[in-house]
Amino acid sequence: MNAITSMMSIFQTHGLEFLKATVITVQLTAVSLLIAMAIGLVFAFFKVSNVFILEKLADIYVFLVRGMPLIVQLMFLYYGISSVFVLTDFTAGAIALGIHSGAYIAEIFRGAIQSIDRGQMEAARSLGMPYTLSMRRIILPQAFKRAIPALGNQFIIGLKDSSLVAYIAVTELFNRALSAQAENYMPFETYFVVGIYYLILVLIFTVIFNKIEGRLDTSKRSRRKGGKPFDQGKTVIQSV
Amino acid sequence: MIKVKQLSKAFNGLQVLKNISIEIDQSEVVVLIGASGSGKSTLLRCLNFLELKDSGEIEIKGQAIDVNRTNLNKVREDMGMVFQHFNLFPHMTVLANVIEAPVHIKKKRKQEAIDQAMGILQKVGLVDKAHDYPEQLSGGQKQRVAIARALAMEPAVMLFDEPTSALDPELVGEVLETMKGLAREGMTMVIVTHEMGFAREVADRVIMLADGKIIEEGHPTEFFTHPKEERTRRFLQQVL
Ligand SMILES: Nc1ncnc2c1ncn2[C@@H]1O[C@H](COP(=O)(O)OP(=O)(O)OP(=O)(O)O)[C@@H](O)[C@H]1O
Ligand SMILES: [Mg+2]
Repeated sequence: MNAITSMMSIFQTHGLEFLKATVITVQLTAVSLLIAMAIGLVFAFFKVSNVFILEKLADIYVFLVRGMPLIVQLMFLYYGISSVFVLTDFTAGAIALGIHSGAYIAEIFRGAIQSIDRGQMEAARSLGMPYTLSMRRIILPQAFKRAIPALGNQFIIGLKDSSLVAYIAVTELFNRALSAQAENYMPFETYFVVGIYYLILVLIFTVIFNKIEGRLDTSKRSRRKGGKPFDQGKTVIQSV
Repeated sequence: MIKVKQLSKAFNGLQVLKNISIEIDQSEVVVLIGASGSGKSTLLRCLNFLELKDSGEIEIKGQAIDVNRTNLNKVREDMGMVFQHFNLFPHMTVLANVIEAPVHIKKKRKQEAIDQAMGILQKVGLVDKAHDYPEQLSGGQKQRVAIARALAMEPAVMLFDEPTSALDPELVGEVLETMKGLAREGMTMVIVTHEMGFAREVADRVIMLADGKIIEEGHPTEFFTHPKEERTRRFLQQVL
């Protein structure tokens, strides 16, 4: 039997099972990224707070997450979380993944917030807007928009990293691949098929993300409305 | 309206303002001039507490401002500020820029804020741009929107920091005209500018700063025709 026909037969026997596992992978990714966004936003605020303790706290968090392999953190957090709380493997896995991605997302948000021209905060404050209102109404909407490409990237990484929770018994896509190849003794073909599942997922995600990005682009918005951006040289100065 | 006594301010060891004292009356138009780095912007920014003084006293509308006790946001509502680089909120339309602070700080009803904003936009000649985004405007239009945004808070004083310095020469006039209109209506204004013709025509008083000190002040006719200080003379020769 050549590789192609084995892959076809793997697809026939496991295709539906893989699809169900893909749904779990998507759910896992979605939940973990929601957690990561919340954590990331909080720690990004810590980092730009100018409050020494908060800044240090955020630094330590980022250092710990960046300094260890994900699989080590995952095992550590999984056993840590499940020894304190009674949680399903799915929930524990999602939280662990979220804590991991959160550090990277915190860095993305911090960079985006700091990239917004200081004049924006000053203009808001000069109108009498308090700090938090200025952040919420003026800085964050612009920072979010600027963070989107990097966030998209991080989401894709999060999607792929979710495969590691296979080792803590969550029956997501990679977990199913592990058991399928143990049954059929065709690891190469099995992983190849599962790889295609991941590729398609990432492809769908990328298309959706590009749509969102396009919609949030103000210059495109004004072009749609028929106006043409005036002297763009000046707006560059303003955004530096 | 504003009383400044013995105001001093340093940035990491560099003494930028040295014992500045000024009194500005209601409806007075004061023009601040001086070489680059003389402390004009810093003085202006101390007046609305975007920079905090090191020592000295600032009294606004008869109230001495204690940074630890007074609500600075309330004080800033009274001190409209216009920046060299406009600092419009790029993610909002012109109208949204103007109603942002009235709606969120003064808690005006939206319709009321819109009606008021349209009135102000009418005054600065930009009603037809209300639904455009800042990037669709010329520099002069942007600066007029910035003025409208500040006016919407119904401030007691307007501070201008080189409002025409970032503009193409042919766009300077429209902004100066708008400012002249405000002066005629009796707005109290403190203006940093290099537009000496404007100062001569509109100012009630011209103040010359050098190395963080007031070295000369006077009525514009007197000030421009018979400057007393050698440094003032040299400076005027350079800019005229
Ligand atoms: N936030 C700051 N941190 C450190 N130094 C500052 C800060 N703001 C201003 N300075 C310094 O204070 C001095 C006065 O600055 P300021 O901006 O008040 O001058 P200016 O008269 O407005 O000059 P210009 O005409 O160039 O705008 C300058 O030497 C400047 O480098
Ligand atoms: Mg300046």
